[in-house]
Amino acid sequence: MAESRFKRQKVSDEPNPAADKANPYLAHMHNDGDDAGDYSNGYSNGNANGASTILDTFKRHGTSAMDAKKAEDGPSNPFNGNQLSERYFSILKTRRDLPVHAQRQEFLELYQKSQILVFVGETGSGKTTQIPQFVLYDDLPQQQGKMVACTQPRRVAAMSVAQRVAQEMDVTLGEEVGYSIRFEDMTGPKTIMKYMTDGMLLREAMNDHDMKRYSTIILDEAHERTLATDILMGLLKEVVKRRPDLKIIIMSATLDAQKFQKYFLNAPLLAVPGRTHPVEIFYTAEPERDYVEAAIRTVLQIHATEPEGDILLFLTGEEEIEDACRKISLETDDMIREADAGPLKCYPLYGSLPPHQQQKIFDPAPKPFKQGGRPGRKVIVSTNIAETSLTIDGIVYVVDPGFSKQKVYNPRIRVESLLVSPISKASAQQRAGRAGRTRPGKAFRLYTEGAFKKELIDQSYPEILRSNLASTVLELKKLGIDDLVHFDLMDPPAPETLMRALEELNYLACLDDEGELTSLGSLASNFPLDPALAVMLISSPEFYCSNEMLSMTALISVPQVFVRPAAARKRADEMKDLFAHEDGDHLTMLNVYHAFKSPAAQENPKQWCHDHFLSFRALQQADNVRMQLKRIMEREEIELVSTPFEDKKYYENIRRALCAGFFMQVAKKDTSGKNYQTVKDNQSVLLHPSTVLGQDSEWVLYNEFVLTSKNYIRTVTAVKPEWLLDIAPMYYDLDSFQKGDIKTALQRTADRMKRREAMAKGKR
Amino acid sequence: MASDEEEDDYLTMTFDEPSTTRKETSLQRTARLKKEAAERGRIPSKAEKEAAAAAAREKALATELDSSSKGAKMMAKMGFKAGGGLGAAGNEGRIRPIELGMKDDKGGIGADSEKKRKIREAAAQADEGVKRTKISEEEFRERNVKEREEKRVEGLWLGAMKILEGFEEDGDVDQKDGIGPGGKGHSTKRLMKSVNILYRPLVKERLEKERDRRARYDLTQSLSRNEEYTEEDAHDKLALGDEVQELDEEDSELEEYQGLPATEKLDNVVKHLREKYWYCFWCKYRYEDEGMEDCPGLTEDEHG
Repeated sequence: MAESRFKRQKVSDEPNPAADKANPYLAHMHNDGDDAGDYSNGYSNGNANGASTILDTFKRHGTSAMDAKKAEDGPSNPFNGNQLSERYFSILKTRRDLPVHAQRQEFLELYQKSQILVFVGETGSGKTTQIPQFVLYDDLPQQQGKMVACTQPRRVAAMSVAQRVAQEMDVTLGEEVGYSIRFEDMTGPKTIMKYMTDGMLLREAMNDHDMKRYSTIILDEAHERTLATDILMGLLKEVVKRRPDLKIIIMSATLDAQKFQKYFLNAPLLAVPGRTHPVEIFYTAEPERDYVEAAIRTVLQIHATEPEGDILLFLTGEEEIEDACRKISLETDDMIREADAGPLKCYPLYGSLPPHQQQKIFDPAPKPFKQGGRPGRKVIVSTNIAETSLTIDGIVYVVDPGFSKQKVYNPRIRVESLLVSPISKASAQQRAGRAGRTRPGKAFRLYTEGAFKKELIDQSYPEILRSNLASTVLELKKLGIDDLVHFDLMDPPAPETLMRALEELNYLACLDDEGELTSLGSLASNFPLDPALAVMLISSPEFYCSNEMLSMTALISVPQVFVRPAAARKRADEMKDLFAHEDGDHLTMLNVYHAFKSPAAQENPKQWCHDHFLSFRALQQADNVRMQLKRIMEREEIELVSTPFEDKKYYENIRRALCAGFFMQVAKKDTSGKNYQTVKDNQSVLLHPSTVLGQDSEWVLYNEFVLTSKNYIRTVTAVKPEWLLDIAPMYYDLDSFQKGDIKTALQRTADRMKRREAMAKGKR
Repeated sequence: MASDEEEDDYLTMTFDEPSTTRKETSLQRTARLKKEAAERGRIPSKAEKEAAAAAAREKALATELDSSSKGAKMMAKMGFKAGGGLGAAGNEGRIRPIELGMKDDKGGIGADSEKKRKIREAAAQADEGVKRTKISEEEFRERNVKEREEKRVEGLWLGAMKILEGFEEDGDVDQKDGIGPGGKGHSTKRLMKSVNILYRPLVKERLEKERDRRARYDLTQSLSRNEEYTEEDAHDKLALGDEVQELDEEDSELEEYQGLPATEKLDNVVKHLREKYWYCFWCKYRYEDEGMEDCPGLTEDEHG
């Protein structure tokens, strides 16, 4: 780092490696030998093994579906010359039954003659797995030393689709076909087909503005309108002007594709009809007083009265879903006993569910109790991930209460939070459509037809309108976009959102007053992190605790490590108390991580986590993230240091380092009562009940502002006002504060600091 | 400037009314200060705090960001015009951030507006109530008297109907046509519409009461019901079922009759009693002949 904004804290002596050994918090440093095995991010340089195949005779952008068929039929693999396996041919047969296959020739013709193509195919049409392969046979990226990229909004999708396509192409995952997601790169020098998250492609573009390593870029699931996909579209619109050889395919699952067409200057559109059956839609006569209860009732009613077919119920979040599953299971037990109902199996589905449990939704429905008895059924209770991105066959009934949990951001109070909100009409149609995948189905909407027409908006708001843009602005700056105001986005956000993002980046010293990227900003953009977290990590050596902050950043970046099952809340809380640190939740999390890395826990980490009510997956992920971040730290030559554990400033240094990133998320206790007041925004908040922090801390910094009927701040740590004035003098410029309790308190602190300084000078 | 001129304008100067409140005494002052201090020191209730927090949030959400901030300056440098949207020319975006919709219950889509509609209706009704209370004291007393009188007449009408029913059931055989031997009123098989309209309301009310009683009885019995009685019950039910149907049937004649003002209803019955049974409701006496010579008159007033 070129210039340092932070004062180094005095510690008793300079850290030395021997002392580190004695530090239990650094135990993990000495036994991780897993730093080897780094995948180079290099790209393909052609047909690596040099075998000549049928593809060598193909004319790039001049092939037909017939040519491709010949190549696919083998007998040797057109991409690596190996003998094709039996499994390959059996998969090939099913592939050729997919709806997209019928239009391969049509696709190729459009693809060859236009630079940008909009492709519409419903989920299950095979577009995600097949279109990229269609492209491979015509684009022949290996001849150019380039790759075909296909982006996915979700990490899991990128991984699983890559795996599937590797199978279909009869190659090893990570060789010809690979994937790249944040904190995990599974590609090699031979890779020609790369599935990746949209965020990953955006990160790559920061160091390769023209995306030169790709010959074709496919943006899949564009209808989901993730933040990264929206930015990529804006970017690609520029890049195609500079790179006439680059081809772009925008893939969407919904029919509002005209919007994409219009945005991309009337690019041609190809639509593949999905295999869908009619779906009958039912509304309720009256609005529901309790949508969860109404949903459960509806599911049970379907089970009791409707013919065979599985049920998909949409709810909003993990807790609600688990709760509903429990209730449905209990009620069906009664129905089976009393009313001779068939068996009903209930599966939850949400993002944070472990993959092996997510997989369960594909289990077949249970068999009837006796032959010829009432049919068995499965019901899947899901968040909106089952709305577009997942295809579950056998669903005939959809129950839609009309809500989903959505991220919202408002720049005026700087809160980014997940809120339960009504879905859009488009979403409701998509949900209903899920019932018609196998045969004609029914969709039960738990609202009136009038409410559908009047209360639901037409289209869901894209993520870019619902997000804090600090990290996006930093990325765009790094991408060389200087005029952020006129950047051509499909749905530009409100000006105040950009205003706030620029201001925050300025306070973080990532942008100077002119709006230019500083060296700190440039460095921060190299971390796949929120700017505040990146700045915190970069400045942590100033506080002699970069090793600890590395763990801390990793822990903040992964899902909640504490598990609190409804059935064992008390035990879980007791276990959490074992790790509690009196100064707050951040240090408590650090305690957890270090305990997790201790030899005792590592003997059987899974069991240890289970015993201590911790999420093994989250901790494992944190471990992985830490490793990746450490590599970036080393690459950027940022010192990895620790304060000796015996030093009494050990914890204070960590808390100070937290302030360096989170100084804009600070609250001060009110003069009376338990409430806190957020600094500058003056919002009244409460400490989240999950905190380990006592109620007597005057100043706290928080990781998250949770918006409900009450405002909560979650993951909090006690700090001192002196540190804030010291570490972030720009933000804590007293002239910028409104009159009030917080200003008075800060003024008093500033005066005290001045007196102390004067006294120190006097002594000298 | 303006205020200076006003001060100089002695001619049109007006004097405040001499203050009627005297200067507060030191005791009053202490009391007032104490009260104010208590108000300040009072710990607000949870609900008050929540409301205050929500109000602060709403206020912040409704306040546009300061256009003199550094962020705004940077944007101005990029060519942003205040009041416009972001984005390429011809595809500008929204001006305002998306509003936050907080949901703190499990109400379904539309339940909120339904609730609001109900609240609105209730408020409208309350408004009407306010209007009604605004009438003068005189009117209020008048209305009270009228209401009381109405009630009294209604009671008299009920009594008159009972007397009429008594005469009809005992006396005229023609009127009994179709009535079983079960005695007055208790027959369930009699057709409601055959009952003289003048006292049909009485019969109907009684039957309705009876039905309710039986329904309650059935409910308490249903759990411990013995199989032996099922046949009888079936009959009962059949009977009841008929009755229920008839009770719930529309009877426009009856409705019309019941809709009349109480005095008119009473007059009708009283007149009928006089003409048919030579009975004066006010004398409480059945005369021997059509002339009813000793009766002072047709109306209550004439009976003093």
